[in-house]
Amino acid sequence: MSAGMSGRRLMKELGKIHNDGLPPGIELVSSGESEADNSDWLLDIRVLDDNPLYKDQVYRLRFRFPKAYPIEPPEVTFENRPDRPIPMHPHVYSNGIICLDLLGSQGWSPVQSAQSVCMSIQSMLTSNNKNERPEGDEQFVKMNKSRPRDIQFLYDDNTV
Amino acid sequence: MRVTIKKWSAVATWQWDISEDDVCGICQVHFDGTCPTCKYPGDDCSLLSGKCGHNFHMHCIMEWIKQESAKGQCPMCRQSKPPWTPPTVYLDYMLTM
Repeated sequence: MSAGMSGRRLMKELGKIHNDGLPPGIELVSSGESEADNSDWLLDIRVLDDNPLYKDQVYRLRFRFPKAYPIEPPEVTFENRPDRPIPMHPHVYSNGIICLDLLGSQGWSPVQSAQSVCMSIQSMLTSNNKNERPEGDEQFVKMNKSRPRDIQFLYDDNTV
Repeated sequence: MRVTIKKWSAVATWQWDISEDDVCGICQVHFDGTCPTCKYPGDDCSLLSGKCGHNFHMHCIMEWIKQESAKGQCPMCRQSKPPWTPPTVYLDYMLTM
């Protein structure tokens, strides 16, 4: 099932987005470099309530889908651009790496999709009121060379 | 007049006895279609159903269950170790000759 699995599944997800659209506050910016390679998507998300931490701001997410997606989770990070900052959140490092259990192999389920992941990240921001980075952010950003999926996060604070 | 039937053969079509517009949560393909590895739906590309009532293409759920992190749980509801069995089928019609 390895080869071709992610390609077909992503085509299905794209078809559904084109037919039904995405929920409010989520926009598909691009779905891959070319038609042949649709394994790298960009999506913009907004927080819909008046949370002052994220009001009037748009954030960009990059999804990298492995060949074995959706058996394996996508790698999802925030992208920093002049008009797209990295949101302040105790689980979001200043280099855009997100610590979210559903994106790790322990929390992932193959019934998740790009859309459902965006919605989870939206609600992770919505429910946050701490204007801070994770502990050890500076050190982590300086030292980290691993890809997000290979990092062992400690989910030490489950209240956020 | 007495008729003796010397030979007869039955022909029937069958369908999975599940909601018609359902798709497999893993590959998102309709249950009447195949998983990503198969060419023909039906006998060769069966479905499996958990005790929780969630259905998947057999090949899709097997691929997931192989993962250590899956812990044998249903991807939909995370209920532990449902025994996976094919859902029931119903016959559409039958012709006899």
